[in-house]
Amino acid sequence: MMWLTWRQFRAQGIVAAALAVALGVVLLITGLNLAHLNSDSGVATCHGARACATAANAFINQLPGTGSVPVFFGTIAVIYLAPALMGIFWGAPLVARELETGTFRLAWNQSVSRARWLVVKLGVVGLAAMATAGLLSLFLGWWESPIFRAAALAGSDSAAVTRISPQLFGAQGIAPIGYAAFAFALGVTAGALIRRTIPAMAVTLAAFGLVQAAWPLWIRSHLITPLREYFAITPANVNELAIINNTQMIVRHDVEKPGAWVVSDQTVSPSGHLFSGPPTHACLSANASPNACNASIAALHLRALISYEPASRFWPLQWTETGIFVVLAMALAAFCAWRIGKRRLA
Amino acid sequence: MIWLTWRQFRAQSIAAGAFVVAFGVVLLVSGIKIAHAYSSAGVPGCHGAGACANAATTFIDQLRGSSTELIYYTGIVIVYLAPALMGMFWGAPLVARELETGTFRLAWNQSVSRTRWVVAKLGLIWLAAMATAGLLSLVTGSWASPIFRAGQLAGSDSVSLDRLAPQLFGAQGIAPIGYAAFAFALGVAAGVFIRHTIPAMAVTLVGFGLVQLAWPSWVRPHLAPQLRQYLPITGANVNELVVENNQFIVRRTIFKPGGWVVSNQTVNPAGRPFGGAPLQACVSGPQSACNAAVNTLHLRTLISYVPARGFWELQWIEAGIFVVLAAALTAFCAWWIRNRQLT
Repeated sequence: MMWLTWRQFRAQGIVAAALAVALGVVLLITGLNLAHLNSDSGVATCHGARACATAANAFINQLPGTGSVPVFFGTIAVIYLAPALMGIFWGAPLVARELETGTFRLAWNQSVSRARWLVVKLGVVGLAAMATAGLLSLFLGWWESPIFRAAALAGSDSAAVTRISPQLFGAQGIAPIGYAAFAFALGVTAGALIRRTIPAMAVTLAAFGLVQAAWPLWIRSHLITPLREYFAITPANVNELAIINNTQMIVRHDVEKPGAWVVSDQTVSPSGHLFSGPPTHACLSANASPNACNASIAALHLRALISYEPASRFWPLQWTETGIFVVLAMALAAFCAWRIGKRRLA
Repeated sequence: MIWLTWRQFRAQSIAAGAFVVAFGVVLLVSGIKIAHAYSSAGVPGCHGAGACANAATTFIDQLRGSSTELIYYTGIVIVYLAPALMGMFWGAPLVARELETGTFRLAWNQSVSRTRWVVAKLGLIWLAAMATAGLLSLVTGSWASPIFRAGQLAGSDSVSLDRLAPQLFGAQGIAPIGYAAFAFALGVAAGVFIRHTIPAMAVTLVGFGLVQLAWPSWVRPHLAPQLRQYLPITGANVNELVVENNQFIVRRTIFKPGGWVVSNQTVNPAGRPFGGAPLQACVSGPQSACNAAVNTLHLRTLISYVPARGFWELQWIEAGIFVVLAAALTAFCAWWIRNRQLT
C-alpha cells in the first residue's frame, strides 16, 4: 500500500519537492546575506537601548537595496498559497479521480481493505502536505528572524514586521501546518462528494479561499479575548480630525503598539459611548482659530479604546489556530472514511 | 457546434456567471453607499483646490477601516486572480481532457471539421474569458472611480489610491482582458503539450503566475512612454540621508499623484549618479550644519515617470501585447490540433 501510494503520488511529490528546494536555495543565499548584514551593523553586539535602536535602524534601512523585500513578501505569498494548492492538486483528485475514471472498483476490491487504502492514502499524502507547509514556514522563520529582532529593537510598529499582524500571522510558526491539513482534507471531501476532479478542485479552492479570508477578519480575534486599554486623546496626539455634513465629527488617535495586533481602535466619550459628534462650535465656525478648536476638543475628554493581542500571545494563538484546523481536518477525514466505506462498488 | 460548446462549457460558465452576479450585487450595494458619502463630503460641488482637497480627504478618511476598504482590496485580488483561474479551469482541460480520455477520436471524427471544432471551442470560450475579465474590471473600476478621483484631488501619495501604481495597474481598465486572453491560451497550449488535465492546470498556474510577477518589474517599465524630470535636492527636502561604512546616500522621494515614478536617481551637477564620501558635517556635527552642507553639493534627483494621463496609452499597449501573444498561442494550438493523428 505504501508503494502504491508513492507510485500514484510520485509526480506531485517530486514537483512540490523541487519547488520547495528551489525556494529553499533562494532563502538560504539571501538569508546568509541577511545574517551577514545583521552582524555587520552591530545589532547583535550593541549595548544600551539607544545604540541598539540606531544599529537596528541602520540594518533595516539597508534592506531595500538587498532584494530582501521581494523575497520576504514572495515567500509569505507562497506559504499562504501552498495549502490551497496542495488541497486542489493533492487532495481533490485523490478520491475523485478513482470515482470519475471507475478505477475505484479495482482499487477497493483488493486484498487490502478499503479502510486501509484510505488510511494509508490520507495519512501519507496528508502528512506530506503538513510537512511541506511546516518546512516552508520553518525556513521563513529562520530567514526573517534578524529582521524581526531588529524591528523590535527599533520599536517599529509597521504591520509588515509584526509577526502577530493579520497579514503575517498565517505564514508564521505552525499555523500553515494546520491550514495544509485542513485544505487537503477539504479537497478529499469535495472529491468524495462531487465525484469529479475538476469541479472538486474548483470547489476546494473557493471554499478554502473563503475560510482563509474570513478567518483573520471575523474569527481569530475571538479565539483569545483581546486586552482592552484606554488612551487619553489630546489635541497634540489627534491623528485625524474631520467634520462631515456639519453634524458628525471624527476624532481619531491611532494608537501604536509595537509588536501587537491592534484589533480595533475606537474613540469613546467619557461615559464610554462611541463618539461620532456633534462637532464643537469652535471647530465648526469658519473664523475661529485652530487653537480654539483644539481647546474645545480637549474639553470633550475623549479617549481611544483599543482592543489588542499583545506580542506575548503569538504562540498561544498559533497553537489554538493550528489545533482547530487539525481537528477540522480530522473530522473531514473521518467523514470521508464513512462515506467511502458505505459506497457500493457497482 | 455552438450548442456542443455551450453544453460542454455550461457548468463552468454558470459558476462564473453566478460569481460575477454575486460580486456585482455586493459592489452595487456598497457603491450606493460610497456615492452617498462622496456627495455628503462635498466633493462634487467643491470650488478651489484647497476646498476640494479637504473634501476629498474627508471622504477618503471616512472609508478607511470600513467595509469599503475590504471590498476595495478584495476586488483587486479578484480581478488579478480571475485570468489565472480561467486559464486553469477553462483553458487547460479544453483539449487535455479530450486527449486524456480519448474522446478526441470521437470529437474530431464528425461531419463538423476539426477546424470548425477548434474555431468554435477556442474562439467562443476565449471570448467568454475576455468578456468575464473585462466585466469584472469594468464593475470594480466604476465602483472605485470616486475613490481614485478623490485620491487625485487630495494629492494622496498613497500607492493604494493610484491607478498607475504597479500594484493596481493590472487590475484596472482593459489590461485584465489581455491577461485573460493570454491565460486561457496558455492553458489550452499546456493541455495540448502535456495531454493530462491536472498537470496542465498546474503548469498553467505556475506559468501565468510567473509572467504576472515578472511583468511589472522587468517588462512594463520598458513599455511605458516616460517623462524625465530633474528636481533639486536641498537639506530641507531630502527624505533619506544615510552615512554608512564610508558611503553617503542622499535621496529625495518624489511622488506624482495619479502617476507612476519608474525610477528615481540622485545625480550630481554633472549629471552622473551621485556617490561619494560622506560630508564631514554630516558624520559629526549638528543636523543644521549637515543640511547646509548638502545644499552646497547642488544635487538633483532625476526621475523618470509615467504621468497620470499616460494611463490609457499604457493600458492599450499592455492589453495589445497579451492579446497578440494569446492569438499566437491559439493559432499554434489550432495548427497542432488540425495535424494531430487520430490514433
